[in-house]
Amino acid sequence: MTHDDSLVIAGRELRSRLITGTGKYPSLEVMRDAVMASGCELVTVAVRRIDLDRDAEAITDWLPEGVHLLPNTAGCETAEEAVRVARLARAGGLPDWIKLEVIPDPRYLLPDGEQTLEAARTLVADGFTVLPYVQPDPVLQKKLEEAGCATVMPLAAPIGSGRGLKLRHAIEIMIEQAEVPVIVDAGLGAPSQAAESMELGADGVLVNTAIGLAEDPAAMARAFKLAVEAGRAARLAGLIDEAETARPSSPISGLVTR
Amino acid sequence: MNVVVNSRRVELPTAATVAVLLEQLGVAGPYALVERNGEPVERDRYGDLELADGDTLIVARPVAGG
Repeated sequence: MTHDDSLVIAGRELRSRLITGTGKYPSLEVMRDAVMASGCELVTVAVRRIDLDRDAEAITDWLPEGVHLLPNTAGCETAEEAVRVARLARAGGLPDWIKLEVIPDPRYLLPDGEQTLEAARTLVADGFTVLPYVQPDPVLQKKLEEAGCATVMPLAAPIGSGRGLKLRHAIEIMIEQAEVPVIVDAGLGAPSQAAESMELGADGVLVNTAIGLAEDPAAMARAFKLAVEAGRAARLAGLIDEAETARPSSPISGLVTR
Repeated sequence: MNVVVNSRRVELPTAATVAVLLEQLGVAGPYALVERNGEPVERDRYGDLELADGDTLIVARPVAGG
């Protein structure tokens, strides 16, 4: 893949179209190795209160150089909470990019579109680069684009479920009408599903659980890297149209036996 | 003086700054995030912003997440 095919988000050029999360790894060392193997340049982090009784290691000590941080608002159930976390993160020195998640539902972890839109408007006005996590909703996508979001990140399936592109059709519509990058975020369980997302025309994918919980996270990170590159290359190469019936690959005339 | 940090009472010298608090907590790393009485504190104020008796603070930082 040449650099000409970089993913550009809010003017920042990313050579990798794979974004990874840093959660669920057995250790920060394993996380670091996986992030390196993934080749990604953007990783998500959460923001949490420190535990006054425990001296925990700082995740930032374990991230490879050159990898950008994308703080998220995971755990926020309302627009107000998400805005508060984003402002806290930025004031303390984290980047002004924010993966906006407003999730009131603990069972399926489905995002609240209305609250997400409200938070996005506030944060964009406040100078943030906003990457909202959403259900695949082409109407909401347009509203978020109008609000000034840098990407729109539809879920393929519920977070951590590994079920793949369950909401494929709506994501296809979003890709078709996108004015800012569409990043498929959440629910991808296998590299083939990442490749499928890229073949569909997604601009990138965000993967965490499928890598972090794999038996060998670094090897799985590499597999996702290759899948994203393969899917992207296939998209650019132009996939054939599907046909109802077979189309022979060998000549149908001049048969030896007839 | 006393302040409340992450729901716990913490004793500090009078007029201690945010930086003093973080040092006392042992979290003076690059990304200690601080909210004071509901308002985020800018990093470049950590050294000079003096806390007051009764302040409520949240001290957070980035952790692994998706």
